[in-house]
Amino acid sequence: MTTKKAFAPRELISENRPTLWMAPLLAVVTLFYLYPAFEVLRFSITNASLQAPDYEYTLNTFVSVLSDSVLYKVLRITAIFVVASVVLQLLLGLMIAVAVNRARARRLPGMVFMRSVILSAWVMPGVVIGIVWAIIFNEASYGLANLLLAPVGLGDVAWLSDPNLALMSIVIANVWRGTAFSMILQYAGLQSIPDELYEAAEVDGASALQSFWHITIPQLRPILMINIILITISTLNTFDMILPLTGGGPGQATEVLALHTYNVIFREYSLAGGAVLAVIMLAISLTLTLAYRRLLRSEEAL
Amino acid sequence: MRRWVVRSAGLAVVVAVVGIVYGCGGGGGVLTLDRIGREDAPKTMTLQLNNSYTHQNSVTPSWADGFERLFTKFAEEHPDWKFELEIIPANQTTQEQARLLEEARVGRAPDCANVDSFVVAQFIEQGALKPIDQYFTKEEINGLFPFVRDVVVGDDGKMYAYWWATDVRVLYRRTDLVPEAPRTWDELIEYAKAAEQKDSKVDGYLFNGGRWEGTTFDNLAHFWSQGGELVDAEGKPIFGEEPNRTYMLNELNFLKETVDSGASPQRVATITNYTEFESAAQAQEVAMFQGGDFEYPPLKESLPPEEFDKYEVSLLPTMNASDPQKTGTGGWTMGSFSDDPEKVKMCMEFTKDVYIGEGNEVTGQLPTSPELFDTLDKFQAPIYDKFNEALKYGEARPGVPVYPKISEELQIAIGTVLTEEATPEEALDKAYKASLAAYEGQ
Repeated sequence: MTTKKAFAPRELISENRPTLWMAPLLAVVTLFYLYPAFEVLRFSITNASLQAPDYEYTLNTFVSVLSDSVLYKVLRITAIFVVASVVLQLLLGLMIAVAVNRARARRLPGMVFMRSVILSAWVMPGVVIGIVWAIIFNEASYGLANLLLAPVGLGDVAWLSDPNLALMSIVIANVWRGTAFSMILQYAGLQSIPDELYEAAEVDGASALQSFWHITIPQLRPILMINIILITISTLNTFDMILPLTGGGPGQATEVLALHTYNVIFREYSLAGGAVLAVIMLAISLTLTLAYRRLLRSEEAL
Repeated sequence: MRRWVVRSAGLAVVVAVVGIVYGCGGGGGVLTLDRIGREDAPKTMTLQLNNSYTHQNSVTPSWADGFERLFTKFAEEHPDWKFELEIIPANQTTQEQARLLEEARVGRAPDCANVDSFVVAQFIEQGALKPIDQYFTKEEINGLFPFVRDVVVGDDGKMYAYWWATDVRVLYRRTDLVPEAPRTWDELIEYAKAAEQKDSKVDGYLFNGGRWEGTTFDNLAHFWSQGGELVDAEGKPIFGEEPNRTYMLNELNFLKETVDSGASPQRVATITNYTEFESAAQAQEVAMFQGGDFEYPPLKESLPPEEFDKYEVSLLPTMNASDPQKTGTGGWTMGSFSDDPEKVKMCMEFTKDVYIGEGNEVTGQLPTSPELFDTLDKFQAPIYDKFNEALKYGEARPGVPVYPKISEELQIAIGTVLTEEATPEEALDKAYKASLAAYEGQ
């Protein structure tokens, strides 16, 4: 004869039945993440506009956006912007992290202050950064960059009015902004590398460069991958800095995908068009993330 | 005992701080950061305003003081009403107008709001704005400038918004470098180059050429003065069809010529705000620029008197000397979205007491009727005769749904022409094709 177990409400939220205690979290995620994402996907298959109350379900918006030649120009500009920003942020972040790490190891003064100064660029709102760099790159004689370059005979650079240089200028501004985050991640990664590895390498007669290449980089690989994923997604979503800096101009020379999406929604009032572009951005971000993760896994397998 | 004393003292401090903050916030007063009127007023309505036109304007303290005085006076004279304020930052007005359209579409717009003059027509078409002509006399409505009535009066003859402040684009020039006002485009280029010969530090002619609404808006004057029309009566873009195509090509070629000839530097393709002209004026590095009337007060304030006295204002030059000197006019209106007639009435009373006349005096922004030019003290200086004259040739942007897309495409067209990425023909064809596609998709 089996005895009936007494009901214990605590068991509803035990480790074997996590549903109830996860419910609040699921509710928040559904309301603030899944539902908005679903709405974006839904709007992308309509012809919804901010100017008309009614809309229909249709794939015409997708067709129209994908067949617009401007999209491919914008994608090309975005690709250049993202690749250049990611590579430079990664490299500069690593250089600064290594330098700060070495300085810390040697107990040089001022490293906390140095890290704070570098981080201050990262905490500044994007709009402020755009305004600041617009002042720096101003092509008038009182523009800061040209003013500093004038003594060496280079005071006439068309930072923002030349289409190619304008793209380079927004990369510079974005790298200035994002290097701090990259530096912080890699600095944390450097902290976690055991000193014994370097000591062993030194005993084996390895040079600084060999230690860096054969110890530092492999040990940092997971952090580097996470770094690449995060700054790629962040750069792909950047428009707040570009809007005050160039507005996407001259012409469309610096109109990246995020800014193009903003323009489609708030200047053309096309909700559906903006949603399609948001879906494209999501697809790009997901594809890159999966590609990076696969790369990381295959290197770990090796 | 000691712990009890410390806790009591801490509680007293907290109560005192809360009381001070509450008092400073005007909890019992008629004006706070988010409210006009007494907290316990029986009637409430929502009011959305641009930050510039409120007591929270941090950029221009004199405006903030003026609106604080006007809001307080209004609240004291209407003790039964409480306005819940939503303040829109200056750099967000564009997307806020888009959001207001969305809110109006779903019936969640504020009861009373600032509405940009060039989107009023879209709100009228949606049926979102409520008619307000019963709150104004026929003389008051007919006394508005024609370009104002064209925008705020619907096809049914009713007025849907009150356009209380406007602006106008004119040509500023340094008379020591450019003694005579150019009347034609050729004269403008000739005088600009001559000015650069006199002073090599100076740019002959600056204008908005970057990627923003000002670029399209300012330069449309060159198109309108030839008789050009952007859209037809149904709102369909026609600027790419003759004769408008020729007019637009003339405008693009003129702008290209200013850079090709050296009259303007290529950096005009990066100018996205009017303060750039003021900076150039302060640096004494500009001979002429196309700017707004609103630049006159800050120029007067920032330049030494002997420098400021060199400047004169004239109407914009045109392609031919016989063309009318059209100019773009913008500005903000007040409109009501409420279904409650009492709230619509109160919105207009607020508009009349705070913005019409008084608001113009506070801000120096141009009134929208010749009568106010004559009666308001602020506008008695001779310069305002010039602005008043310019307003007679004023042209507002077409308030059609496709205008924002046309503007975007023309900004791109002007930018690609100025940077030689495209010829005027290529740029215009692309802009027209994209605008038509957007119109057909609406």
